[in-house]
Amino acid sequence: MVSNQPFGFWQGIDPTTGAVIDKRHDLCGTSLKGKAFFFPYGRGSTGTPGIFLEAVRNGCAPAAIVNVRSEPMIVMCALLAEAFFKVQIPIVDGLPSNPLEIVRTGDRVRINGTTGAIDVLGR
Amino acid sequence: MQLTEEEQRILDGACGEPQRIALNVLAKLGDAYGADRMIEISSAHIVASSYQIAGEAGIDIYSQLVEQGAKVKVRTTCDPGSIDFARWQLFKTPVDYAERQIKIAELLGRLGVLPTWTCTPYTTFNVPRYGEDLGWSESSAVIFANSVIGARTNRLAAYVDVCAALVGRVPRFGLHLPECRRGDVLFELAPDIGDDFADHFFPVLGYLIGQRVGDRIPVIAGIRQATFDQLKAFGAAAAASGSVALYHMVGITPEARTLDEAFAGRAPAERILVGRHDIARTLEQMNTGEAGEVDIVGLGCPHASIDQMRRYAVLLRGKRVRAGTELWICANTVVEDMARRMGYVEAIEAAGAKLMIGTCHNDCPLGAWNFRRLATDSGKFAYYTPTTVGTQCVFASTEACIDAAVTGRIAPE
Repeated sequence: MVSNQPFGFWQGIDPTTGAVIDKRHDLCGTSLKGKAFFFPYGRGSTGTPGIFLEAVRNGCAPAAIVNVRSEPMIVMCALLAEAFFKVQIPIVDGLPSNPLEIVRTGDRVRINGTTGAIDVLGR
Repeated sequence: MQLTEEEQRILDGACGEPQRIALNVLAKLGDAYGADRMIEISSAHIVASSYQIAGEAGIDIYSQLVEQGAKVKVRTTCDPGSIDFARWQLFKTPVDYAERQIKIAELLGRLGVLPTWTCTPYTTFNVPRYGEDLGWSESSAVIFANSVIGARTNRLAAYVDVCAALVGRVPRFGLHLPECRRGDVLFELAPDIGDDFADHFFPVLGYLIGQRVGDRIPVIAGIRQATFDQLKAFGAAAAASGSVALYHMVGITPEARTLDEAFAGRAPAERILVGRHDIARTLEQMNTGEAGEVDIVGLGCPHASIDQMRRYAVLLRGKRVRAGTELWICANTVVEDMARRMGYVEAIEAAGAKLMIGTCHNDCPLGAWNFRRLATDSGKFAYYTPTTVGTQCVFASTEACIDAAVTGRIAPE
């Protein structure tokens, strides 16, 4: 799932389904559940992990996140998911080229959270 | 990160599972942001205290921590809950929802968190000193502690704040470092603005600056004086419309006695002149509602101070909130208690207004009310209301808001 718009999970996602509910967002109505979610950067309130972890608990969070630049709120969400729910969600940012210009919605990708390598397996 | 022997012992599990988990989260956060070591904090303020934010995941996390015998290590206060614990029925809160919030309250109590239920902990039992390191979240409290007091805290997130409280430490990066507290962008007030600022000028200016500055550090020049409440309103708006965690107001905030000090001798990366026209345009953006009937008026965002409670009491004396319109005033129990002793509460309630204590309109389930148009004097509320409450929002001065509650009609500022 690829979007060029910044995204805030707080007020942005329904944690019981994984669907985007922010009416101002171009992905509104689509589900992030189990997807690799590519977006430029996160936006958000300090309550963000509240909603994010609720989605993790319900098995409705994205499987991986790729940003142009990850803000601390997103990084903290992933650290907490691992610490309290034993769910690993790789977060990748700071890549040499802009992933939003290479990967398209619908692509199958492999993401290595340790090395930051992203492979497009098929489109 | 370089950890001390004690921190390494915590990480090895010698101090129990909660501290191990907490320090592990903080160490990874520090690694991600280039921290060299941990620093001790004097207090924490946690944001996942409302059921709206914490949800069932929060109840799971707090239950697990309580079972494992966790206790906070430093003075820890909490943000508003999702109910007014004393009178949630008055606000049509569903019973099962209230029960989940009461469960969170029990769990936080067992962790040793002070039940302040407020976004203004600095008006209760959590008053930081200049230069102290803190582990706080709640964007409006973070910006107040950093800017007005000169304490040092990053904008922590829900549960990371709990981790900080459990080990009494945070990774040393960002706003804990003096070199990261220098101003980036200079905002100068144009002469056409004048220098006689009404109270509602401050949240509008904060909203404007938050939009323009993003997560950089703004320096505001040209304001000769500002009260506690004006700074509180300004910062809350800037932290909502942007991700501002620190601002400097030259001659007013402690790290900006001079323009030069605010920028630590460097030149501003950008200079922005703010004129009457900019203020007027920001007001238009803040008003997502038109003039007309108003069914809810919300004051006390951030939670009202004792001075604001006095003002509401004076403005409401001898008046009556119109039938079909609600006037809700949000505050914490400390301010409520003092306002009651001073007779302000009696005057406010005699006029038909409701005190909403330990919570706010943004944190409560309000579906049963079917509100259509809200009036508020808060820039933060104006920013969030269209999504949280789902109503139109009209921003106006405190006087105009109270007038709207009495007449049932509002016109945007």
